[in-house]
Amino acid sequence: MKYRDWIFLLTITSLITILSNLIGYKTPISESIPGVLILAGIALAGVILGKVIPLKLPMILYVSMLGLLLASPVSPVSKAVIEYTSKISFMAPVTVVGAFAGISMGKDFQTFKEQSWRMLIVGILVFTGTFVLSAIVAQVVLSLTGAI
Amino acid sequence: MASSNERTLLDRCKEEYRVYIVAFLIVIIAELIGTHKFKIGPGMMVIFPMFYGLIFGTLLGPKLLGFFKMEEVKAASPLVLVAITPFMAKLGILGGANLSKLVAVGPALVLQELGNLGTIFFALPVAIMLGLKREAVGATHSICRETNLGLITHVYGPDSEEMRGALSIYVIGYIIGTIYIGFLASLVASTQLFHPFALAMASGVGSGSMMAAASGVLANIYPQFSNDILMLAGASDMLSGLDGIYVGLFLALPIANKLYDWLEPKISPKKSLKVGVEK
Repeated sequence: MKYRDWIFLLTITSLITILSNLIGYKTPISESIPGVLILAGIALAGVILGKVIPLKLPMILYVSMLGLLLASPVSPVSKAVIEYTSKISFMAPVTVVGAFAGISMGKDFQTFKEQSWRMLIVGILVFTGTFVLSAIVAQVVLSLTGAI
Repeated sequence: MASSNERTLLDRCKEEYRVYIVAFLIVIIAELIGTHKFKIGPGMMVIFPMFYGLIFGTLLGPKLLGFFKMEEVKAASPLVLVAITPFMAKLGILGGANLSKLVAVGPALVLQELGNLGTIFFALPVAIMLGLKREAVGATHSICRETNLGLITHVYGPDSEEMRGALSIYVIGYIIGTIYIGFLASLVASTQLFHPFALAMASGVGSGSMMAAASGVLANIYPQFSNDILMLAGASDMLSGLDGIYVGLFLALPIANKLYDWLEPKISPKKSLKVGVEK
């Protein structure tokens, strides 16, 4: 996808996020605008970094790091970034993802039907193993380091 | 249709406008339904508007209600990628705003990433016993999100058996992963064996939507820790994204391959059937 497509699709996504934030979380449109602009701006900057930097790293990594840097104590704009984006409910952008993901699922539906119950069992074990083992390691290390 | 090189934004709009409009409508309906909590056994299941979005979107697909054509459905895949990006920015900001807390829990946060390797020991033996071959390695080396699919494509090729396995779990993750992991989070929380922070870190499995589901449920169970939970889950998820490729390439795949080579001759159903006959 070109930058042009990213800008266009980020605009669509941002508009839907504003809507989601309005209906689901009762945030007036005017209060959502600076927040979605910042989020979309960081997203775009991350995409650009991902294309410019010649490392084989997923661009979502740059997006996340940029957000972290901008909101960290070393950033001169951290206060504004944190305050404006706090108006965007955590789950509002996720609702938008859900809508697109659902539509996109249409193409994989047949594949899933053809996949046997075996993969379902394996999937459940994959999710369980990842979550439970991580929780055990975290619990042990947190206890050992006296963080909890 | 214009050639893919010269595809203008107008072409894109013409091909995808129904997807945008329907996404708008789905979000309106999903948000009007709102967030609901159900008690299931010892746990609590929280259904976010996202799930309704997923369900409505899927129902409209070509194989079910047939509202969308196959081309439109295919066009929605990159939209998922775009739509999740501002959400990742939001997570990064949450991390940055809470950097001092992050540093305080640092070692646990980094080490629990290794817990993600647990999926191999849980799932690979069962996958082999169920008769899966090399698909089992792709399916169980990780939780199979975008990063992992990229890795598998690079290591084994897009048409490999390993990729087929990883793709299956990816799809299943999309359909039931978010709902299941939210339920799992509440179930594990109800054992009272874990500190909410440990559970929050475990929520960062490397999938934005699963992390959101699990941490959302946990934030509801432990309202006094809700901000810390969301922050830790986001940070852990970010770390999973950051280290996913390296953990996958240097740890998960070698471990999965070793375990597969060792277990496959022993517990694969055909082999064990023969052993049974010989007896």
